[in-house]
Amino acid sequence: MAKTFAISILVFWLIAVLLARLMDVHGNAIDLQHILASPSWQYWFGSDDLGRDILARVLRGAEISFMVAIVVTIINMLIGVTIGLLAGFYGGKLDRLLMQITDVFLAFPGILLAIAFAAVLGPGMLNLVFALCLTGWVSYARLTRGQTKSLRSRQHVQAAESLGATPYRLMSRHILPLLTSLLMVEATYSLASIMIAEASLSFLGLGIQAPNASWGAMLRDGVRYMLVAPHYVLIVGLSLMSLILAINLGGDYLRDKLDVRTA
Amino acid sequence: MHLLKRILSVIPVVFGVLLLTFLLIHLVPGDPVEVMLGESASLSDSAALREELGLNQPLIVQFGQYLNKLAHGDLGHSIHTKTPISELIQARYPATVKLAFVALCLGLLIGVPMGIYAALHAGHWQDFVITIISVRFSAMPAFWLGPLLMLLFAVWLGWLPVSGMESHASVVLPALTLGFGLSAILTRMTRTSLLEVLNDDFIRTARAKGLSERTVILRHALRAALLPIITIVGLQMGSLLAGTVITETIFSWDGIGRLLVESIEKRDYPVTQACVLIVALSYVLINLVTDILYQVADPRMRHA
Repeated sequence: MAKTFAISILVFWLIAVLLARLMDVHGNAIDLQHILASPSWQYWFGSDDLGRDILARVLRGAEISFMVAIVVTIINMLIGVTIGLLAGFYGGKLDRLLMQITDVFLAFPGILLAIAFAAVLGPGMLNLVFALCLTGWVSYARLTRGQTKSLRSRQHVQAAESLGATPYRLMSRHILPLLTSLLMVEATYSLASIMIAEASLSFLGLGIQAPNASWGAMLRDGVRYMLVAPHYVLIVGLSLMSLILAINLGGDYLRDKLDVRTA
Repeated sequence: MHLLKRILSVIPVVFGVLLLTFLLIHLVPGDPVEVMLGESASLSDSAALREELGLNQPLIVQFGQYLNKLAHGDLGHSIHTKTPISELIQARYPATVKLAFVALCLGLLIGVPMGIYAALHAGHWQDFVITIISVRFSAMPAFWLGPLLMLLFAVWLGWLPVSGMESHASVVLPALTLGFGLSAILTRMTRTSLLEVLNDDFIRTARAKGLSERTVILRHALRAALLPIITIVGLQMGSLLAGTVITETIFSWDGIGRLLVESIEKRDYPVTQACVLIVALSYVLINLVTDILYQVADPRMRHA
């Protein structure tokens, strides 16, 4: 049941975002006659403080948020998996050095480091992605390193090594394929957490900049006008949570299906 | 011995934290002085700031000076108000500690009893409902939960103040926002570890002795289930500390998180740098203390 629920929410968002794209809805049209209007036939989700259509902006925000999450997840995975593989495969000094570096990044609580870096780098999409990547790779590195360490001594790896396989081949052909399901589950969950992190940065004004729509910035405006237009913050928040919930449910489904045990 | 090793292991981490926070100001694109003071700043002002921050020295010398200043408790000055940053931090830090402490207490007061309740009703609908809520809503971000609580309890019901920190009641909503995730995780953790312990022999013995169910649960089972709870609290302090940044911003709570956001808005980067450093160091310290507590609580861990 959870699976159907998750898939239907995801499909709903996908269709809505695609439709918005096709119909060229951008939600930047200002209509000062209808500031902070409640939901109506004209504005299904109401309008914001500049009279812009909240529905259109939610859809644009969803698109941007999802794009950022996918790009950041891919980069994090590439960096983290490489570091984890190297550390776990070679062990010794390299392992200690790389793990010491990850420990330093882990010493910063939550998204604090991302906030700090996004702040000094200044606003902008590229800086946002950079700030989110800065700490995101750590979990992949630790996960991959632990798995690689135990896979390293498996018979099939030792057999390939004694046949003269290069370290690169051992890692890419004999170790990495066994990690794919684990990494896929991790990546699914991280999509959700990166969307939350991106929204947090945008909420603080450090992420995506106006006039582009972003859920974090809309939530901040929603809080500002909460007393006169509570629908604003409620609708944006519910949209975000429905997507997060669906992605996490999808992660649970993948985890059970692929029989992955996460810590 | 193990304890000493654990304490020493903090040194490279602290060094790394110092290095990263030091580099922060050098990542400002272009000339940091110009970015901070604005383009209209006079040449003498810029030169003075450059001198104060030591930006015209080689990087390694700057890092040495940074460490030297920190060792003397000097965090530098705010660019705009010229106030020593250590004073700013001292003024704001207690508010954050208060908020985090109340959030922690609320998390424990809600999470542990809920977990006990769920464990005692394992398999029944009460357990089902509590588990669903604690699993699905543990990831509710502060910027969504905060406004929800604010709307419900402050705007519509009018029970609590919307924001600010004038009365003791003001702490309730931000602390709930901050402690919610923790309470959800604690609920799950308490439930799982209690269920594990409840099947043990010593619980059967306690029951066979004719002890009341209440004593069995509170005195025998809960005590054994306490260790995972300590660990979780320690691990979650990180997200709690980071969560203060957004929670304090939403509820206008004058703590260190809000100081950080204000400094970012004013481009007062030395203050930003100091806030990040202080929060990160607090986190490192909390993790260390949790580990030590863990070993004190469970002698088996000393040899692990």
